[in-house]
Amino acid sequence: MRHQGFTFKKLKFASFEFTCCEGCQLQLANRESTLINFLELLDIRNFRELSSEQHNNFDIVFIEGCISRHDEVDRLIKIRRQATTLIAFGTCACFGGVNSMKNKFSIEEVVAEVYPDMVVETLPVKKISDVVTVDISIPGCPVSKEEVERIVVSLVTGSQVTLPKYPVCVECKAQLNTCLFELGEICLGPITRGGCNAVCTTGKTPCLGCRGPSEEINMPAFLELVNERKLNLEDLREKITFYNAFEGFINYEA
Amino acid sequence: MYLSTKGILAFVNELYSSKPTGKECDGMIYKVISKAEFKRFIDTLVLNNPSFGPRQVDSDIRGDAVYHFLPVTSFDDIAFDYTATASSAKHFFLPFREELSRFAFHGQDWNQHINYDTNPIVLIGLRPCDISALNILDDVLLNGHFPSPYYLGKRKNTFVIGMDHLPRPDCFCKSMNHHSVQTGFNLFCSDIGEEYYLSINSSKAFNFLKEFNTRDPHDEDNCRLVERRKLISNSFLSEVDVTALPSILDIEFDSPVWEKWGNKCLSCGTCAMVCPTCYCYSVEESFAIDLNGATRQKRLYSCNLVDFAVVAGGHNFRPKNGDRLKYRYYHQHRGFAENANQQICVGCNRCGRACLAGINPKDVINDLRMEKESCLTNVSLSPGRT
Amino acid sequence: MPDKRFVIPRQDINREAFAASIPDFNRRSEIMKTDMGYKCSITNIVRLTEQEKLFQLHILESREREIFRFRPGQFLMLELPGYGEVPISISSSCSNHEFLELCIRKAGHVTSALFNVEKGAYVAVRGPFGSSFPMDEMSGNNILLIAGGLGMAPLRSPLSWINEHRERFENVDVLYGVKEPSQLLFTYQFDEWEMINHIRLHTIVEHGTAEWNSRTGMITDLFNDITINPATTYAIVCGPPVMFKVVCSYLDKLGIPMNRMFVSLERRMHCGMGKCCRCMVGSTFTCVDGPVFDYWSVMNLKEAI
Repeated sequence: MRHQGFTFKKLKFASFEFTCCEGCQLQLANRESTLINFLELLDIRNFRELSSEQHNNFDIVFIEGCISRHDEVDRLIKIRRQATTLIAFGTCACFGGVNSMKNKFSIEEVVAEVYPDMVVETLPVKKISDVVTVDISIPGCPVSKEEVERIVVSLVTGSQVTLPKYPVCVECKAQLNTCLFELGEICLGPITRGGCNAVCTTGKTPCLGCRGPSEEINMPAFLELVNERKLNLEDLREKITFYNAFEGFINYEA
Repeated sequence: MYLSTKGILAFVNELYSSKPTGKECDGMIYKVISKAEFKRFIDTLVLNNPSFGPRQVDSDIRGDAVYHFLPVTSFDDIAFDYTATASSAKHFFLPFREELSRFAFHGQDWNQHINYDTNPIVLIGLRPCDISALNILDDVLLNGHFPSPYYLGKRKNTFVIGMDHLPRPDCFCKSMNHHSVQTGFNLFCSDIGEEYYLSINSSKAFNFLKEFNTRDPHDEDNCRLVERRKLISNSFLSEVDVTALPSILDIEFDSPVWEKWGNKCLSCGTCAMVCPTCYCYSVEESFAIDLNGATRQKRLYSCNLVDFAVVAGGHNFRPKNGDRLKYRYYHQHRGFAENANQQICVGCNRCGRACLAGINPKDVINDLRMEKESCLTNVSLSPGRT
Repeated sequence: MPDKRFVIPRQDINREAFAASIPDFNRRSEIMKTDMGYKCSITNIVRLTEQEKLFQLHILESREREIFRFRPGQFLMLELPGYGEVPISISSSCSNHEFLELCIRKAGHVTSALFNVEKGAYVAVRGPFGSSFPMDEMSGNNILLIAGGLGMAPLRSPLSWINEHRERFENVDVLYGVKEPSQLLFTYQFDEWEMINHIRLHTIVEHGTAEWNSRTGMITDLFNDITINPATTYAIVCGPPVMFKVVCSYLDKLGIPMNRMFVSLERRMHCGMGKCCRCMVGSTFTCVDGPVFDYWSVMNLKEAI
């Protein structure tokens, strides 16, 4: 495909899952109206959910999930060597995600609770960038297929890949939603990266920050407003640690 | 003493608004309609056209109703006794996202399609401040050096019905002189008890109303209108002193007040989204997924958002929250050269109500004034230019 | 069934009719070109430095070529469909009605894509937008052009005007500073400017190389090389934000009146028409009130430099 002297080539594509629910990869098969066009952009070399083909050199690789075992570390490092562009795909890959709940307990406790009387090898949860270099992050629980399409098109056309820098509030206001704080809830919208079209808050579910912090967030001001409204601080703590996406800001919590 | 309708209106306008009674007033026709007939009129209009009006969507934690302009299909859908909507009616004229152009590629060439057209809608229940906001947008987007055909298309195809109301405690539109409005609507309704006093400002509205029972206003109707306006005018609890505000904003450009409020600011853009006059935007272009075309989209942006003033190469001309917040106030209350330096804030306080951090024009402006006044009394040097 | 008596009639906006509604007849073509640009083919691409390329554009339609006119200092919105638009100052002479030349640095999203474009590709330009240098007002005086880095790009247009009307000006000095010799733009024209147009060109680099046999230092060091008569000198300054302040306050001290110093500012415009507010400086739009300002106005603008 040629346009303005550019030649657009299909991307040699692979997708792998680590510790996750595979929900983000499932999103790739969603949005049927554009699915054929989307798949046209990709030369699928390795993607368990869509194809039985298996090759081992890739232009782009989606990594879904976090790392929670030694063998996953080795497998990820091997994939990194085969990939030109490695994309952390989904909240678990970008931040650790819900799985990070595990890190609040000791490994022994965790194993005893889930797999009593079994020998299980397991590690504290790591995000992908803790193990290998990540080129692009696509956060979301699950990812927004629309955003994935936009990013894949950018990669094919050689445009810059960007994520919105503004918080969820911008898109939430465009949906004419009533602010959830006005309804007495704690919502992480003001500090969470936009781009999800405020799906949760539009459904009156408070934002849990699956897309991670937006650019240069004002955490002290956010905590101040939660305090001022006398909202439940335990609820705040739970929400902010839910996806482990606000790791660097957790000190503010006290 | 007998006063003609026109005479009394001129008198009313002089009393309760500082806006000059423009030539638009001369073309205005005044009628009185009973509330029952008004219901029939609205029902007919709503039945025949896509219509939007205030509807209650929620009750907030204080038990106050939250309203938005939403689609309505009958008179009963409309909350005529609403106070103010949480978000303004701006997005009917300046959508949050709007396609500016569509490109269809063929080889190295392309066709560019532009569409300014839009289907007519009826917008019911706008407050005087909301209509003033439209007039301000008209000034910026139609009377400037480069008029916007996209905006013109929407403005021309929107039938605006205004309604007056008693102010909320935090409304300060009287301070901004936008608590009454003389132009910018098709029809304006003032509640004078059992009837509505109609100001008809377009032939469309006049033609529609021909089919309904209306009568010319009597002397006492005019008096009731004066009483109504007096009541509204005297009901304002909030006042913001905006005298010489433009020059104060200039002088206080380096004031610590900005840092103080900036530290509270979440840079979330909520204020600009709900504002009836914030029109700043961003243009984005993207390939279609089949790569055979592209779209150029405009989306409303806010000067509070972190990357508003970033230039190619990454330099941010307004890196701090305070810088950006100041900019919004600068735009709202000082005005820009392109729109003849007029203030674009209408005093609806939507931004103040929506701001989670509690930043509102009244407090910020009062703070600036305090700063200015303490400066004068202490005869301290004004801060140096940085 | 809708009752026709109560249906609001639809009023469509026709492009031509809309442009024709503009009271000023001369601006009608301008209004027509605010959202649908002039389609151009890229007739030549010259790599000037590692970071900058010079694109030569030719407006395809001869009728459109006839109406496209600009003044030195104005800018364009350059459109690469699919990638977006970017504001670019015009670097060529305004008397060249056949070709437009744009000097572009690979800095952002659109310009990076432009660097992959080949000769013959189509782009579109909207504009021209903004204010220009008052060349007639400057006539009869000495001219001091001061450029830092990419600041040379917008100054090449007024310089061409000066060269074409050389007899109208007295002494013309160009002070041009860059970081390294390899970043000098339009070096192939230096001889022409000096020998044919009698421009006194003074270049300086921050970090010299072995081959560099001219001055090393900051642009302000060049002031020692020239004599300025403040009473009969007009200055044009363009460069990175830090440079304006230093250079303009120096010229101010020399006694050049602020309204005879002109600067060309850079911001990221999205519309070019004073609507999107992305390029606001103080209460002024860089796109419609600028990009060329006299120093007096800029001095009084908040956040300008």
